[in-house]
Amino acid sequence: MEKVIIIRYAEIHLKGKNRGYFERIFCVNLEKSLKGIRHELRRTSGRYLVAAFADQDADEICSRIARVFGVHSYSVGYRVSNDLDSILEAALVVCPKSGTFKVDTHRADKKYPMTSPQLNAEIGARLLQAHPSLRVDVHAPQGVVYLDIREEGTALVFGTFEEGAGGMPVGTSSKGVLLISGGIDSPVAGYMMAKRGMEVEYLHFHSYPYTNEQARDKVIELARILSRYTLGESITTVKVTHIQEEIHKKCAAELNVTLLRRFMFRIAERIAKKKGAKCLITGESLGQVASQTIEGITSSNAVVTMPVLRPLIGFDKEEIIVRAKKIGTFETSVLPYEDCCTVFLPEFPAIKPKLSFIEEEEKKLDVEALLEEALATAERFSLH
Amino acid sequence: MIYLDNAATTRPSDGALARAAHYLTECYYNPSALYHGGAEAARLIRDARGFLLEQIADPALFSLIFTSCGTESDNQAIFSAARRGNAVTTMGEHSAVFESYKELKNRGVETRFAPLNKDASVDVDALLSLVDEKTSLVSVIHVSNETGAVNDIADIARRVKQKNPRAVFMSDGVQAYGKLAFRLTKDIDLYSVSAHKIGALKGTGALLRRKGYSALSAYLHGGGQENGLRSGTENVYGIACFYYAAQEKFASLEKDAARIAAMREQLWSLLDKQLFVRISPEGGSPYILTVSAPGKRGETLQRMLWDLGVAVGTGSACNSKKPHSRVLEACGYDGKILDGVVRVSFCPSNTMEEVQAAARAMNEAARAFGG
Repeated sequence: MEKVIIIRYAEIHLKGKNRGYFERIFCVNLEKSLKGIRHELRRTSGRYLVAAFADQDADEICSRIARVFGVHSYSVGYRVSNDLDSILEAALVVCPKSGTFKVDTHRADKKYPMTSPQLNAEIGARLLQAHPSLRVDVHAPQGVVYLDIREEGTALVFGTFEEGAGGMPVGTSSKGVLLISGGIDSPVAGYMMAKRGMEVEYLHFHSYPYTNEQARDKVIELARILSRYTLGESITTVKVTHIQEEIHKKCAAELNVTLLRRFMFRIAERIAKKKGAKCLITGESLGQVASQTIEGITSSNAVVTMPVLRPLIGFDKEEIIVRAKKIGTFETSVLPYEDCCTVFLPEFPAIKPKLSFIEEEEKKLDVEALLEEALATAERFSLH
Repeated sequence: MIYLDNAATTRPSDGALARAAHYLTECYYNPSALYHGGAEAARLIRDARGFLLEQIADPALFSLIFTSCGTESDNQAIFSAARRGNAVTTMGEHSAVFESYKELKNRGVETRFAPLNKDASVDVDALLSLVDEKTSLVSVIHVSNETGAVNDIADIARRVKQKNPRAVFMSDGVQAYGKLAFRLTKDIDLYSVSAHKIGALKGTGALLRRKGYSALSAYLHGGGQENGLRSGTENVYGIACFYYAAQEKFASLEKDAARIAAMREQLWSLLDKQLFVRISPEGGSPYILTVSAPGKRGETLQRMLWDLGVAVGTGSACNSKKPHSRVLEACGYDGKILDGVVRVSFCPSNTMEEVQAAARAMNEAARAFGG
């Protein structure tokens, strides 16, 4: 009897001819997530098994697996040979000792001499014999003993199904650059795109010395938390202080944020191209702040050709917070460091800026020189 | 780096570190151990205790226990003394006292906060009017960590005791100890100090207690160290550093104060008065000069100055939830002044040249602010 963690994957089986490609990436991601823990990862048809781990590591393995996109569900159980005595031995471990239960058999090996209902009845009867206070309830049992009869003379026996992160393996849907601030939204946006298989590069803008190093460290910490899901390696930061100062000095105050965002998008697109990414990702949600109106979005989109993915566009703040808490970024996001000093925030920002007015104001700036200067401040921080 | 944030912490004294090293690498024994090495460590603690105490108090009237920091000393004092009735303090306290008073309120003790004068010293008459027969504790900071204003705690304690002899009087002396010449009077029951503000290490503090005041209770229970008032193996190395650093400080306390006062006034005289206004009083502790560049951000100036090679403190954090110094707000300053607060604080090793360079940098940063 060998203790194993059974991993079932989500949408990979839909991918037809590309299945091998998806599975390879999935397998690499699983291995990456289990780095540092002694284990063996085995592929069986339609399942992965983690085996040969120390008992004390089981909880951590489960918690890491639960964060890997592409995992549909997982179960801690036992791999045994498929004779009745061996199956019973494992079933006795996972079965409740009292209350109601049922046995639920799935047969992948159709040549197995007993049918599923026969196995349910036989193992159920033997469990009842061992634990006389148990009762069978096939409709709403308190505990279930799952039997999965595999090929090669083995069976998997387990008692629970735990929900996985779902989605698709990171790396199967190209690469995007996430504009990550210190706020609640952008980490959630990155999470959602990674869930659809996108590899996420992090990009953070700061305005040192108007913003502080603690705020930047906080963003690095957020990226670090996110990388437990996205498997990201590093974060790039770019200083936009001089851009802000120039906008503040030369342009209409109500456009401060609008103009800054156009610079951020341009910088992000250039960095994306360098890194082989094909889109930008932001945490914008329609109407949340003055710059997140359809006019604001139009103004930012106008300066880039790459698609800008905004997975939170239709979400309320509360919905985003629920997700941030689940992901584990919320507590760090709400630490009180500003990502932009209020010195540069206009009292009344333009809510529906006209593109012609924006472009007129932007002519007062040497856009290309400012972009070059900002790009030269790019710094890379490892997330490990 | 020209280091002018000495009210936050000081660079450890090389001399003190060198002398104390013996207790880190050789005499590392547990002072409770009953062999020679243990006795040697215990002797060091005894000598340090005696010295640190007698610099500001009569050892016949006061005793001293070592703690881990000023905050611990304040907490132990406050939660021992204020168990009933009301507790009075000032709006100008360090957070170690101010937040502890908020906790007292949660525990059912009525808390009363006395208003401040413009320099962050307490309005003494207002404070006394808050003291009544139900007052169990009065706490008044000795030297304001935000402006350097000095409260005459001997006089305030005497008048508090006249009104209610049973009220406990305590003072946070973290910015005064080793910097100002003073003696604890018999009206002061508890006084907290910290080592890292005078050239010793973080992680070491002390609480002085008038011997006649017996209600101090322990918050850490265990091996019974510090007369049962503060269990936990003593920080022998930290205490040794505290001892030797204090020896240096007290040996030249008045000479240093005069020299630092001159540096402070020199700095102020060199600052561009179009850019800066002064918040610190003319008198007060010479170790602190708080100014403001109205309309600018103190925190940003602080980082600009760091990049120019000057480390200073600030009264405010660029933080939307808590934008201003609570203490300076209570002094009645407007938002623009509160935004731009910069605290310069000195130590005896600073030089006039450093001060002049710092003044130039401060003018430069304030001019460059905003691009």
